[in-house]
Amino acid sequence: MGDAGGEDVEFPILCETCLGENPYVRMTKEKHGKECKVCNKAFTIFRWLPGRGMRYKKTEICTICAKLKNVCQTCVLDLEHGLPVQVRDTALSIQDNVPREEANRRDYLAKMANGLEVLGEQTDFSGKAQPAGREMLKHMARKEPYYKRNRAHICSFFVKGICTRGSECPYRHEMPQGDPELAKQNIVDRYHGNNDPVARRMLARSSVTMKKDNLAVAPEDKSIMSLFVMGMDTTVTQQDLRDRFGAYGELKSIVVPPKGNCAFVNFKSRAVAEAAAAAALGGCIINEKSLKVAWGRPKPKGPQSDIQKRQTSAGADDSTLASGKARIPPPPGALGDSAEYPSQDPTAMGAVGK
Amino acid sequence: MPKIKMLSKRKQKCPEGWDDIEPTLKEFEQEMREAENESTEGMRKVESTWSIMRVHHQRSKYLFDLYYKREAISRKLYRYCLKNGYGDANLIAKWKAQGFEKLCCLQCIQPLDSNYGTTCICRVPKNNLEEGRTVECVHCGCRGCASSD
Repeated sequence: MGDAGGEDVEFPILCETCLGENPYVRMTKEKHGKECKVCNKAFTIFRWLPGRGMRYKKTEICTICAKLKNVCQTCVLDLEHGLPVQVRDTALSIQDNVPREEANRRDYLAKMANGLEVLGEQTDFSGKAQPAGREMLKHMARKEPYYKRNRAHICSFFVKGICTRGSECPYRHEMPQGDPELAKQNIVDRYHGNNDPVARRMLARSSVTMKKDNLAVAPEDKSIMSLFVMGMDTTVTQQDLRDRFGAYGELKSIVVPPKGNCAFVNFKSRAVAEAAAAAALGGCIINEKSLKVAWGRPKPKGPQSDIQKRQTSAGADDSTLASGKARIPPPPGALGDSAEYPSQDPTAMGAVGK
Repeated sequence: MPKIKMLSKRKQKCPEGWDDIEPTLKEFEQEMREAENESTEGMRKVESTWSIMRVHHQRSKYLFDLYYKREAISRKLYRYCLKNGYGDANLIAKWKAQGFEKLCCLQCIQPLDSNYGTTCICRVPKNNLEEGRTVECVHCGCRGCASSD
């Protein structure tokens, strides 16, 4: 098995953000340049400038360590989503089986046939088998590369007020922003996914939003007894859905809109719906196709119409039924909350009337 | 460095005009010695040699000005000074070439000394830099030695 310093690695394993926006990056390569920050073995260092006004970045961990966790060699964030290792592993329930101690680690890696490639294939880093987790990761991931990460570090002398280099100082002359708790990061912890303050913050925030988006929690409207299934195609038939969801209890009906890439699964009772949701919410796999499952909203026509009539007589919530569409928030000011900006209150900007 | 000669022998070999420039040259020698001995407290690792490079540049420039610009000394005296280490002949040779009139040191035009085989950043004219940031080159602390600056 080639060692990370000796074998001729042509190009490092990097994420788009670390490489920078310039497609024509110049890189220097130095074999055995530095020690890997995780395993402390000498490895090939690549160094480049990720854009104008940025600091020079270099690979911090060796190829082997990076492949084991499917992370970028510089920022140690997941290659697919750009998320911390702890976040990705929690979402996808990935266990870290590789021994940490040097000699055990070497033996373990040597035992694997073809070394890393097999190991990489065995561990599912993209979460194909965990659609719920994958959804969560996609939700949390950044949509665009975050080049601010590549800026120069903050000048610690400037912070103390004693930077003598002045205008030629290559470090940023700004005060440190952001939560000081998040500033205490350790690359080894981040790599192994232990005790990562950023990851903890992200996971805490996501569980809150999950609740807000009603993904995890059942809707308050007890009349909703249907689940909304998305991501279907011809391989998943109504019968498959019936089989899968019928296991939780009686189905009222399955409605598939003409487009066919989604379906409503209506249950006979709320309890059954909740049972099914508990098991399948987020996503499930039918016929090897991963589907997204969420709580549904009643369709305007179809077998649910009689449920709607019953609800009307029971005096249920108006807005849900009014158009059958999603609940549209009231116009600003209607609920009587104070305008946050003067532009929300037309009269404040000088408009006359209303 | 020039061979240490007996005072009398040295005086005999000096060409005419030596006495006029000798005090300035001795000052430069003194400055160089100070630069070599200065404490590097608070300096960056690369910064410690900058003052040496500066003095080296200055005294070579003095000779260059005397001979080529002002034509105040004879060829014989000029050669004598170069031979005895009062100026850098190679650096002066560059100053005669177009575009290198303000060259700071020989290291900055040596592509082998840079990561990507280019010249030093101090050779880039300021209007091509666009960052507005002052550059202090790593070899000699030069802030820009392009002829247009």
